[in-house]
Amino acid sequence: MALRAAVLRHIRVPVQTLGLKSNPRAPSGSIRLMSSHDDHLSKEEVADRVLSVVKSFPKVDPSRVTPEVHFQKDLGLDSLDSVEIVMALEEEFKLEIPDKEADKIDSCNLAIEYIHNHPLAS
Amino acid sequence: MSVVAAGYLARRTAQKERVRILYRRALKDTLNWAVHRHLFYEDADLLRARFETNKHVEDLDTIDRMIADGEAQYNKWRHPDPYIVPWAPGGSKFTRNPTPPEGIEILYNYGREDND
Repeated sequence: MALRAAVLRHIRVPVQTLGLKSNPRAPSGSIRLMSSHDDHLSKEEVADRVLSVVKSFPKVDPSRVTPEVHFQKDLGLDSLDSVEIVMALEEEFKLEIPDKEADKIDSCNLAIEYIHNHPLAS
Repeated sequence: MSVVAAGYLARRTAQKERVRILYRRALKDTLNWAVHRHLFYEDADLLRARFETNKHVEDLDTIDRMIADGEAQYNKWRHPDPYIVPWAPGGSKFTRNPTPPEGIEILYNYGREDND
């Protein structure tokens, strides 16, 4: 027993760390995270889809919609319209935005930024 | 005088935010109650019309009373089983198969090397 303890004090088993340094989101080889959300959206795609949602809103003139447009100042909408647009965006990207945060989204720019940074947008 | 004006503006801003959030929740609840999408569009128009009828009310106390009344109606008619996005708290996919912690790897071919 004493011998075992003495041996164990001097021998160290080299610990091998797993070579999992790559991005776990990217499906590589045999590793597949069953619950992971790996279809991350690029910023261009987010911008395209946000703009198409805003353009298809009935009260909006599609030719005036650009990525920098402000819902109320530039598009002539009122606050309830922008609530409706944010709800349409939530449905488009399968998101659930908390009420207080959704209330702050008042322009295309902010919407694109928020959705692009949201980990579960799809 | 400016204090009064500032107080008025602050109260007005708070009321506007309350109305926006009330409208947002009510609109979502309308979608929960609607069985079909085309039914939702009509109900949403009715809801919007109810908000629009009181658009030009100026008196602050009346507005407060109307908002409280609207919130009470919303709470009364709230859907018992609303739609929740699957990954959100309360959703069907919430914390299902959480991502393993950093450094943990799952070996899907475990034991296969012995049988080859």
